[in-house]
Amino acid sequence: MLSVEALKIRYGEVEAVRRVDLAVDSGEIIALVGANGAGKSSTLSAIAGLVPAASGKVIFDGADITGLAPEAIARKGVALVPEGRRIFASLTVADNLRLGGAVHLTPPEARAREEEMLELFPILRRYHRAKGGNLSGGEQQMLAIARALMSKPRMVLLDEPSLGLAPQLIDTVFDLIAELRRTGLTILLVEQNVALALEIADRAVVLANGEVVLSGTAKELASSDLVRQAYLGA
Amino acid sequence: MIAQQIINAVSLGGVYALLALGLAIVFSIVGLINFAHGELMTLSGYALLACLVFGLPFPLAVLVAVSCGALAAVAMERVAFRPMRGASVTSLLLTSFAVSSLLKVVFQNGISARPQAVAMPGWMTGAFSFGDFTIGVGPSISIVVSALALIALELFLRRTVTGTAMRAAAEDFNVVRLMGIPASRIIATAFLLSGLLAGLAAMLWVAQRASVDPLMGFTPVLKAFIAAVVGGLGSLPGAVAGGFLLGIIEVLLQATLPGAVAPYRDAIVLSGVIAVLLIRPQGLIPAVRAQRS
Ligand SMILES: Nc1ncnc2c1ncn2[C@@H]1O[C@H](COP(=O)(O)OP(=O)(O)O)[C@@H](O)[C@H]1O
Ligand SMILES: [Mg+2]
Repeated sequence: MLSVEALKIRYGEVEAVRRVDLAVDSGEIIALVGANGAGKSSTLSAIAGLVPAASGKVIFDGADITGLAPEAIARKGVALVPEGRRIFASLTVADNLRLGGAVHLTPPEARAREEEMLELFPILRRYHRAKGGNLSGGEQQMLAIARALMSKPRMVLLDEPSLGLAPQLIDTVFDLIAELRRTGLTILLVEQNVALALEIADRAVVLANGEVVLSGTAKELASSDLVRQAYLGA
Repeated sequence: MIAQQIINAVSLGGVYALLALGLAIVFSIVGLINFAHGELMTLSGYALLACLVFGLPFPLAVLVAVSCGALAAVAMERVAFRPMRGASVTSLLLTSFAVSSLLKVVFQNGISARPQAVAMPGWMTGAFSFGDFTIGVGPSISIVVSALALIALELFLRRTVTGTAMRAAAEDFNVVRLMGIPASRIIATAFLLSGLLAGLAAMLWVAQRASVDPLMGFTPVLKAFIAAVVGGLGSLPGAVAGGFLLGIIEVLLQATLPGAVAPYRDAIVLSGVIAVLLIRPQGLIPAVRAQRS
């Protein structure tokens, strides 16, 4: 469904991503893991069109989407839940959700979809009229995911959904991700919590210093020496 | 006398508020202080003059003139600013200076460097009185128009999807694009609104002076810029508060300063502005923002 070929990303002189190749099949969860600064967020940003690729290609559904504007990529059905949630703090929860589906759905479809999201995230119904900025970190993460799902995307890119959350909230978020996969959604998941990511993913790609150092099924990686020593602390 | 001064103060404040809002809307979305905002105002003034010379009925002439301001703002973005997208703030600022100077030269050479009289309808300069009070029709209309424009803008920003997207874009433009909402639509709407507000302000300004000249927009927009900074650059409630505050202080000083000090009115106002900014560097009502594109 998505393939990234020889992606390179530069910020001025700095080469943040040297070479990333990865492929995500329909209905899969692929985990993209690696240390802080490895280039995970940059890779997701390039897929979503927020940063330009210095070279390489991003192919979605057989079409080359490299260099398209973020709004054009979003319309093709790719939704990014960015690092740090980036919900609209001065807007209500309702308005945050509404913007998520604004261009993809007709008003009645958007209302129906919003209702589905409120079913999936009951906490958001409770705070429907509250400002996004007044929610806790976990609630903001739910809102960020729900806002991205409003557009009924075919693929979501999740950037560190567990960051800064209390352990039981992390479990809630990961249960949710598993549930989303059951609905047929394709997911590219970036995580620093490698153990958790490998538990939920079908396959995983390990990034270090902007390059893919290892990839394979989640099971293979969980038992590989490199991953065990470097990321699982075993 | 006092009632009339209050009306004058609020009416001037309303014009500054409309102009400051226009500057603030564009700044909140694209991070640009549009120095050519005053020329949008001047252009609307000339458009009104032209419509009246061609014999259009007054309400229609006003409608056309305000639309000209709005369309000119959108065209300005298309022609001058869009090709600069992604450029540094300094380049954008210089571009807006260039556009401003260019338009001034066009007005001076294409029309005339001298003020042109605009034939406003007679009832505008009239006054009505209750008991002891006499109140000018012009300033009263100005207050009503400013108030209606502020309410309409507020409704647009709160109730429509595009308005909500604009509030969101002022906070985090890139995430709005991630929602599939085109950047160009948001930016064009910001300029359209700023042009509409400049056009309305021009009508109110011309109504009080009955003339247009190539530099007409300069002083009010300079004041509006000050108002926007005092209010908190990029903050819309701040721009409105700053506009009214500045208008009221100016009229107050005008009315109370002894003759010998009166020429220093602007210096006194600016000292006040500096004092406000020393105490509250982010302005009276700071803008909320997370990240800029
Ligand atoms: N906007 C930016 N400007 C300059 N350098 C950046 C920017 N974003 C990220 N980087 C650099 O690129 C590298 C990869 O960052 P990032 O993609 O955020 O890694 P990760 O998400 O894996 O922690 C880091 O060295 C980081 O400092
Ligand atoms: Mg990251």
